[in-house]
Amino acid sequence: MRYGWFAMIFLFVACRNVEQPHLTDSELLVRVPAGFPSLEYPADNVPTRLRVDLGRRLFYDSRLSEDETVNCGSCHVLSAAFTDGRTTSSGLHGIAGKRNAPTLVNLAWMKRLMMEGGVPTLETQALAPLHDSTEMSPSMMPILARLNGDAYLKELARAAYGRDSIDAFVLTRALACFQRTFMSGDGRYDRYLQGKKDQMNEKELRGKELFFSAKTQCSECHSGVFFTDMDYHNIGLEEVYADDGKARATHRDEDVGRFKTPTLRNIQLTAPYMHDGSMASLEEVIAFYNAGGRAHPNKDSRIHALALTPSEQADLMAFLTTLTDWNFVQNEDLLPLMR
Amino acid sequence: MNRTWSVFSLLFVVLFAQSCKDDVPTPVPGKSFATVSFDARWDGTPFQMQQVYMDDFGNRIRSDKFMNYISFLKLVAEDGTEVLVKDFMLVDFSGTNSITAEVPAGKYTAIKFGVGVDRDYNKDQDPAQYPSSSPLSVAGSQGMFWVWNTGYIFAKFEGKADTTGTEGVELLSPIAIHAGDDFSYRTYTSPAFSVGIDGTNHVFAVHVNVDRIFSPEQGNDVNIAFDAITHGGTNPDLTNSFMDNFVAALTVEP
Repeated sequence: MRYGWFAMIFLFVACRNVEQPHLTDSELLVRVPAGFPSLEYPADNVPTRLRVDLGRRLFYDSRLSEDETVNCGSCHVLSAAFTDGRTTSSGLHGIAGKRNAPTLVNLAWMKRLMMEGGVPTLETQALAPLHDSTEMSPSMMPILARLNGDAYLKELARAAYGRDSIDAFVLTRALACFQRTFMSGDGRYDRYLQGKKDQMNEKELRGKELFFSAKTQCSECHSGVFFTDMDYHNIGLEEVYADDGKARATHRDEDVGRFKTPTLRNIQLTAPYMHDGSMASLEEVIAFYNAGGRAHPNKDSRIHALALTPSEQADLMAFLTTLTDWNFVQNEDLLPLMR
Repeated sequence: MNRTWSVFSLLFVVLFAQSCKDDVPTPVPGKSFATVSFDARWDGTPFQMQQVYMDDFGNRIRSDKFMNYISFLKLVAEDGTEVLVKDFMLVDFSGTNSITAEVPAGKYTAIKFGVGVDRDYNKDQDPAQYPSSSPLSVAGSQGMFWVWNTGYIFAKFEGKADTTGTEGVELLSPIAIHAGDDFSYRTYTSPAFSVGIDGTNHVFAVHVNVDRIFSPEQGNDVNIAFDAITHGGTNPDLTNSFMDNFVAALTVEP
């Protein structure tokens, strides 16, 4: 009889009907910050509450790493705008990575992923750390087997994607679905643009003028509502690059040292800076640009000595702090979900 | 209760048996089939993983992993019609590799295929979109996929070498030839033959003569003593030479 109870419980869990409401347009509009473009989703991964919920659970699930010590949230911490404060992140077995953890914001609009732009979609990007022996696991297959041992998660996956098991499709789609909800566009600068003129002080306004000026040309690359042109530039960070940047993907000499322009949203919270985390503070970054960078044949022609005064540098720094979206980094919907 | 469990058990057995059904068609009277097998050889004998071989440059080499993709494996009929045997195959030379397909009865004159993954299925593709039974899927690709620069590894030869060629010396120099990227895709068409298939299952044996890959006779030196590491475009010279030699090292027993 004891087995009969087990069977009944099993059937109840396996057969319960989990509702899968699609997010409505109005709900999406609430999430999309003012002034941002409308969203387009992959046909096979239209967001639903269940899909986002599943992705949220998986994002913070350490079973996704071989030794169960690392999850996505290990290197992408919400309070630091989904960075981790380290020069380069540590992955599986404490192995040091080679790059600084990038911030994860407004990914729904990013054209290509990774610093060299080698990955076309957010769904495919999810494979990168999951299939990397220095990050989470040398192979995704044991991870999937482990996840499929969790009856609740498996049922959630079935309800969300209609598949019998948690496979690579479900895993990558769910993670992408959750990450598309990382929308940040509610800094004081954004409110200022919406007419709330008291949101920025004189110092910050002077910094804003400098940022968008022909003198600094900061906004040439850090452009638009995302503060990135999504293009690749060599800023003269090194004379000889240990990391070839875009050339890793294209193998072209002219791409050596070119990296995707990072967004400046929440930049105040994402130290250290540069692809290798080599600059500890924003002040150091501004001083670097002010000096004009190092010589390199691929250096962008717009990078040159700016002759900014210490006061002007401080103004620029002040402006950048207005891009911090405190509601975003305190959004409880983006924290680990308890069962 | 016992009866309930019997029903569940029977259902389980039926479902399990269904999921394990072999995809290879069993030859039946009146139908024609072609089987194409792939293996690796060294000087005409089966090439063994973990075994040490002396190449024509005097290097002692050992392979721990040797795999490659095949795209659009076809038989060419006497009238020039091409019959698809298999769209994609991942050949792992540590085991046996063959594929069987039903083909129209008739006379066949050549076999052709691509070495690597066809351009339309390579760059910017998502392996998670394929069912796990596909060689292009995450599971089926068995690590033959670059994620950070999305695309398949067309051929992989990993192992160790002793470039002094001295018997008894430990093999310490790493070999990691990962050929890929669209530029390294190659096509192969066998020398002409004449094979009639009519109500039979004819086996075509494709051999990769590994000794010829690591030989100066092909005109493209893949000399492990000088160059043994490539990841697609990181070392295009070695990638190209390896793929050229790979194709030149193919022979078919029709």
